[in-house]
Amino acid sequence: MISDFLRSTFWLDVEEWELSWTIGGTNWFPLLESIHVIAAAMVVGTILWVDLRLLGLGAIKYPITTLNRELVPWTWGAFIIATITGIGMFITRAASHVLNPAFQSKIVLLVLAGANMAYFHLILYKDIQQHETVISTSIQLKIAGSLSLFLWAGVMLAGRWIGHII
Amino acid sequence: MPEFFTGIGQLISGSFLQSGALWTLTNIPGFPPIIQTVHILGIAVVMGTGVLLNLRILGLAVPSQNITEMTDRMVPYLYIALISNLVSGSFFVFGRPTRYFNNPVFAWKMLFLLGAITLTIYFFTKHRSKVGYWEQENKKWIARSIAILSLGFWIMVSLAGRWIAYLEHLQYPMWSI
Repeated sequence: MISDFLRSTFWLDVEEWELSWTIGGTNWFPLLESIHVIAAAMVVGTILWVDLRLLGLGAIKYPITTLNRELVPWTWGAFIIATITGIGMFITRAASHVLNPAFQSKIVLLVLAGANMAYFHLILYKDIQQHETVISTSIQLKIAGSLSLFLWAGVMLAGRWIGHII
Repeated sequence: MPEFFTGIGQLISGSFLQSGALWTLTNIPGFPPIIQTVHILGIAVVMGTGVLLNLRILGLAVPSQNITEMTDRMVPYLYIALISNLVSGSFFVFGRPTRYFNNPVFAWKMLFLLGAITLTIYFFTKHRSKVGYWEQENKKWIARSIAILSLGFWIMVSLAGRWIAYLEHLQYPMWSI
């Protein structure tokens, strides 16, 4: 079923959109890619401090909630820019991308990173007050922090690998 | 293109640096995307340290973080990221030196990088000279000017980095290998 979805002619239609042609055939593509790289670096660079704090390795002077409140909006803003620019590049070669193992891995890793983030914000965050100012956080928070770091690095690696396969 | 610049390319060309880099790039499976990812992760750390500090100085991000404390915390990370990027980037530059040193976008990238690093070193040196140096009222506008400039430099370094390959793609036949 998933294979039918990935091999659907819909993806070929996407490549034929006027927008896809405009992006793919002009300097829009390199421009989008440049912005994508900077936005992705910003996603990782900002969430990095929250993750290091969860691990007790960095920014330990600040409560977790403060870092979260001040940094995660930047992470989200950068993520939205990365998503828009990413979709812009994706549609130019949609049919090849959906079958590209690097692209597929990237999507899976993104979903996992999102699930980890949701678990942290919806479940672990409820009890955050008790870890708020302590440097050594609970094992669950440490796992969430390290998973976040590894998953985002994985998203980058898979993302970079897309260009080497296509 | 200045002669001394293309000269560096010719100097590396044919040396063990080139053969070593090419050997690594071609013989270790997956090495090119992996080392490129290391390079982008380095950029991510620059964003999370240098750029975030610039945004803080401009009053745009992390208002609860103290500039002096932040600077102390950012320095080692920023230096490690820059050294890491120097190493990860070298594989590609050493692998095809004449292409890079004939590419005007690469020259611009190095120029922007030099600007960003100079400002960073100046900022850190002054920071070390006196506790709370950049928080003094009469230094506020110098700090903000440095922040705007270095923010621009870091963005241009990243943009130029991506465009090296595009220019090469468009104009490569004009250059020697």
